[in-house]
This record gives sequence, C-alpha cells and structure tokens, in this order.
Amino acid sequence: MRWFSAKGMALSRINDVGGMQGFPEIEPEADEAAFHADWEAHVFAINRALLRKGVYNLDEFRDAIERMPVDEYLAASYYERWLHAVTSLLGEKGVLTEQELAGLEVAGG
Amino acid sequence: MGNSLDAGLFAPGDRVMTIRTDPPHHTRLPRYARGAKGTVVELEGRHPLPDDRSRGRSPDPEPVYAVRFAARDLFGEGDHSVTVDLWQSYLRAIDKEA
Repeated sequence: MRWFSAKGMALSRINDVGGMQGFPEIEPEADEAAFHADWEAHVFAINRALLRKGVYNLDEFRDAIERMPVDEYLAASYYERWLHAVTSLLGEKGVLTEQELAGLEVAGG
Repeated sequence: MGNSLDAGLFAPGDRVMTIRTDPPHHTRLPRYARGAKGTVVELEGRHPLPDDRSRGRSPDPEPVYAVRFAARDLFGEGDHSVTVDLWQSYLRAIDKEA
C-alpha cells in the first residue's frame, strides 16, 4: 500500500484527539436541539444533497474537515467545520468558481 | 455475494498488529491504535477503504473487523478493553511480523 510507511512516531491530524489529555470536560446540554441556528440546518441539508448527488463522497467530506488549518479547526463549531468542508469541496470539484467563492467570503463577513 | 467472498484474511480470535502509519489524508485508524497488538472479535462486513475513497478513488470493498485491544496496551494503564472497527489493510498477522 502506497501510504504504508512507518515514519517513527505516529503523528496525525488535528481531528485525531482520542487519548489526548488537556481538553475541558464534556458538558452535554439538557434536551439539546438538533440545530442551534437555521444556518446549521441549511448546511446539514446542503451536505446531504451534495453527497446524494455524488458531488463528493463521505470520506472526501471527512478529509476536507480534517485538513482545515489547525487554528481554524480548533476555533470552529461543529457545523462551522461542515460549512468549511462543503465550501472547500465545491471549489475543488469545480462547482463554484473562484469568483463565486470570493463572493461567499464577502457575504459571510 | 457468496460466502467465499466474505471470508477475509483473519478469523475471530486471531492476534493482529495494526500498521504504523501517518497518512496525509483521511484514515479510520486512530493514532492511539497504531502499532498496537489486538485480537479479532468478528467480521463486521466489507467496505471500501476510506483512505482511498477520501482521495476520490473507488476501491473494492474489503473486510472490516472489530478488533479488541487491552486499554493497557494502548494507553499504558486501565483494566478495560477498547474495540475498534478496522479495515483489513490496517492489520498484519502477528506471526508474520516476527
């Protein structure tokens, strides 16, 4: 397998935090809503539609989240990461042009 | 799909070692379970390797196993076990490692 090469210490991407110490305790919200804002539901729906249409697959989506810049990844909420991944993939797959992506950034502030 | 196609390299009870890898793409082999010895619990089915699929490839499905590790072997302490679903490509037979 091409990627099977031992390089000493097994490092990994920022998402791979299993067994890592130093994070605050997880405090589950009581009766947590599925979405905390309308835009989150929109991102969820758009991602489902793009997966269903085969614009990208689920592993490409996960990969796009995992290669976020480390500082952005740590600062982002769950659905902010989804939005980042969807936007990245739409650019990479040629669905959105560079101009359209630049327009999104302006619109998003 | 016939039963012969469902059989993988490993059977329940087999001792296996996970590969040590640091891929620059998505993988389902978490860092804490790399280069670790465990025991195959059961075949979970056959699925395409996410590492390849995340790079836009369309690999054939391969066996995925539930593999049980002693927490002590992964984290240096603990009396419990940790079971992870792992693709066959992540596993090597221990007797072949020696």
